[in-house]
Amino acid sequence: MSANTLASPKGPALLVLCVLLGSHAQAQTAPDLSGAWAPYRAGRGGDPALNPPPPTPIVLKPLYAKPYETRRAAEDEATKKGEPLGTAAVQCVPYGFPRMMAVALYPAEIIQRPSQITIITEAFSEVRRVYMNQPQLPIDEVPPGYYGHSVGKWDGNTLVIDTVGIKESVLGYQNTPHSTQMRISERLRLVTPDLLHDQITVEDPVVLEKPFTYTLAYRRMPNYKMVEFVCENNREYLDEKGAVKMKLRER
Amino acid sequence: MKTRLYVGVLLCIALAAAPPLLAHHSFAMFDTAKRLTMSGTVTAFEWTNPHVYIEIDVPDEKGTVKHWSVELGSPSILMQAGWKFSDVKVGDKITVVLNPLRSGEPGGLLAQATVRDGRVLGNGPGRVGGQP
Repeated sequence: MSANTLASPKGPALLVLCVLLGSHAQAQTAPDLSGAWAPYRAGRGGDPALNPPPPTPIVLKPLYAKPYETRRAAEDEATKKGEPLGTAAVQCVPYGFPRMMAVALYPAEIIQRPSQITIITEAFSEVRRVYMNQPQLPIDEVPPGYYGHSVGKWDGNTLVIDTVGIKESVLGYQNTPHSTQMRISERLRLVTPDLLHDQITVEDPVVLEKPFTYTLAYRRMPNYKMVEFVCENNREYLDEKGAVKMKLRER
Repeated sequence: MKTRLYVGVLLCIALAAAPPLLAHHSFAMFDTAKRLTMSGTVTAFEWTNPHVYIEIDVPDEKGTVKHWSVELGSPSILMQAGWKFSDVKVGDKITVVLNPLRSGEPGGLLAQATVRDGRVLGNGPGRVGGQP
């Protein structure tokens, strides 16, 4: 199409047509991830060959490794005594990204549009919005939050997502600490038509010696209707030692 | 430089092939090695998040009634195991098997419940966990 054609009276219409055809072609090649997905565990009657690869080691810088290990040791000790230490979730505070992507057996729903992919997880009704085909913002321009700022693009059949802007109080995978400089890249692809892998790589030049990668797996749940989750009746509380207790009702 | 790079402690997290899934809270406050079976009358059934609760009045052999609070999974997790919000109603006679609180207080985590139509329901698919 020449510049003259676009400059003709029919030019704008042709341009719109081209854009529509282009986005249609992209939608045709991109796999459809829309729908509900549940955490997949091969141990539950599935095929072990479809399991995601094991995670790579998490190597924290010494400044962060010591407190992390101390906390884990304290958690183990408290759990052994039957007085587990509390977490933000016990107080009904959502997990945030990336922990929200693997909470017990709770499904996640993906809503796929060419311009935006939305991921809603059932526990705590958490929502991520992935803006497609947009440049990522500089980290320092994203107000730190639970979900940060995510942009995505298709790399063949793989959805590639880049996320920055997760606040430091939102703990990472395995409750690891992170700085505001953390960047998380994901590669989502269908391993089979009904099995989705999300390969998650965490980079943080302040806290990590090197990036680490882990992969989550989900199975498609056809016709599943997401269940609402409003944390309205939280009977767990933390006692003076920070241990989780259960409030009991009187008759 | 390389040596310095690896001065950081290597946190080899002992994991199986799949990463562990988060749970809403640890269940260590319940003694999962103990199972108590009790029958009583439902005084409340709370189909709520983050947990569902059954409140029951349980009479002993002398007729003295003791009140128990029983924690279940969340509605989503229970529905995956066949529960419905209407499976238990106030006034129902119910039998529950629970893992009691380690503190000795009258509360516990449901292991299974026999509801009014005779069905035996667990606390979510799979093991005792499965709660948020």
